[in-house]
Amino acid sequence: MSADEAPGLYVESTIIMTTVRVVAPFVLTFALFIMFHGADSPGGGFQGGVITGSVVMMLAFAFGIDSTRQWLDVRIVAALASGGVLVFAGIGLGAIALGGQFLQYNVYKPYYYEASKYGIELVELGIGGIVASVAIGLFFLLAAGFGYVTGEGER
Amino acid sequence: MIDHLPVLLVVLPIVGAAVPLVASLYTDRAGWTIALVTMLGHAALAGLLAREVRTGGVLSYAVGGFTIPYGIELVVDGLSLVVVLLISAITLGVLAYARHAGPHENTFYSQLLLLVTGLTGMTVTGDVFNLYVFLEITGLAAYGLVASGREASAAVAALKYLIVGTVGASLYLLGVGYALAATGTLNMADMSEKLAAVGYDSTLVLTAFGLMVGGLTVKVALFPLHTWQPDAYANSPDSVSAFISALVSTVSAYALARLLFSVFTVEFLTAVPAARWALIAVASVSIVAGSALAVSQSSVQRMLAYSSVSQFGLVIAGFTVATPIAVVGATVHLVGHAVMKGGLFAASGIIERETGATTLGGYAGMGSRTPLAAGAFAILALGMVGVPPAIGFVGKWYILVGAIETEMWPVVAVLLASTLLTLAYFARLGERLYFAEPTIREEGAVADGGEAVTDDLRPPPGRDPSNASVSTGMLVVVVVAAVLAVALTAAVPALEQLLTETLPPLLQ
Repeated sequence: MSADEAPGLYVESTIIMTTVRVVAPFVLTFALFIMFHGADSPGGGFQGGVITGSVVMMLAFAFGIDSTRQWLDVRIVAALASGGVLVFAGIGLGAIALGGQFLQYNVYKPYYYEASKYGIELVELGIGGIVASVAIGLFFLLAAGFGYVTGEGER
Repeated sequence: MIDHLPVLLVVLPIVGAAVPLVASLYTDRAGWTIALVTMLGHAALAGLLAREVRTGGVLSYAVGGFTIPYGIELVVDGLSLVVVLLISAITLGVLAYARHAGPHENTFYSQLLLLVTGLTGMTVTGDVFNLYVFLEITGLAAYGLVASGREASAAVAALKYLIVGTVGASLYLLGVGYALAATGTLNMADMSEKLAAVGYDSTLVLTAFGLMVGGLTVKVALFPLHTWQPDAYANSPDSVSAFISALVSTVSAYALARLLFSVFTVEFLTAVPAARWALIAVASVSIVAGSALAVSQSSVQRMLAYSSVSQFGLVIAGFTVATPIAVVGATVHLVGHAVMKGGLFAASGIIERETGATTLGGYAGMGSRTPLAAGAFAILALGMVGVPPAIGFVGKWYILVGAIETEMWPVVAVLLASTLLTLAYFARLGERLYFAEPTIREEGAVADGGEAVTDDLRPPPGRDPSNASVSTGMLVVVVVAAVLAVALTAAVPALEQLLTETLPPLLQ
């Protein structure tokens, strides 16, 4: 749609499309790698989330912003954002329910021996989801320009 | 459950903020209900917390169960309890106002709840870095809320707010870095001991003080650093200006007080008179300049905004005088100002909707056309000046007594002058409202109404046809604010007792 309105904004290029098709899975894997290593080495949800968001931006540059917007269900973005928050809060409040403090991972120990490690991993994944969805949402909103009102979905 | 109150107060609005996002897949009007339910929960938790602090004293919470100086600590004492209750009450009031006044989008209520999260977090945290995180959450949510106005000027105001606010938060963060370098800790209580051990006259400590306090004065909007504030207040939707004028600067001023008393302590202020006088000088300049700028405004909302610059100078001056009575006075004025300023913005919104008046000239003769809103506006304005039965009087009086006790005569002079200056701009408004010939004709309002109906076919995005009307809820909010401005005076002895019970360790 915007490609029609603003000719020259999107140019279909075999080179870019092929490159992105090859690179995207690796970038997404790298993003997950960063997220999973947040607990014990540099990295974490914020950095990994931004890289995840950049995958979608890359796809948008290669295949057109509007087709990517249609391909990416808004429900996924909303679920990532609020799901991340709920994962975080759920792990924190679960610890309270088991008699610990908020986010006290070691109270999960009796149920799973590496609870501290994977508790942090889950929280990092939650944060990654939030950051990625916000980055994606902001990108689409900026790309849409001023005056575009979704009426629903992310801000 | 009871032990976990401080953290639940922060987690509840975060979870509440995530829900409208999912809800917006199904309906775009669920935000208000979700926000209301969340805030009712928040208020209930705050009530429980009040009971707990009044019976059990200061509450401390170790997040994640980490040993205290290493993990994040949440602390609730009398001062933070008052601010938490204020946040809860004001947000409920704003929700009642926004029910009809809008914005109605789910995203607005998401941001509102995020802002509540940030404000509550800033209030209950006992960790200087954690304070920064919540300062940023507060800031980002506030920028978004300011930008939710549909006019282009709202976007410009939000951008200005974003740039200035980020500079302020970064200065604060830099100060935290210096303090960390000096002490090796981020916990407030631990840091205050180690700062004393390092020596109050050490360059590191002084730099940390300057940067942290400087950063927060940007957020409080004291005079030379207030430039973001009038635009942000005047260009955002009415619900937003009522909300952020009542809470955002208030909680930043609370954070500044927390920094003064819990981190740097009164001994620091005594040991380094230059720091105390610098802060008093900034506050005094802010009082005078804010009032002078307010007098020169013709737009009522901008006048109210500049009035905040001056009133926060007063609050910070009270905290910096730092005698028990001045601190009580500053806290009373902090709370009183929040209620009165929020009420004034809400009332100005109603007056604009009913009559179209937004300027000093436009207010002429509107007292009879919107009796309730104008009456509440006048009462709140008098309260802000400090006319005796109102809470504004008690706060100013206590700060004044504190300043006289410590013989800070320049402060006394500025305080007295500020009351006169406040009278200068609010008396002018009152005079216009009740004793001047209307400049806006009744037909004008009717014609506006007619236009709104024809616009009904294609209403501009985000602007309801109901934009010109006023609901009972909005009027009730304004009237309750006016009643509270007087009735809160009765709560001052209880507040004084609460503060003297929990603050003596801070005030020697």
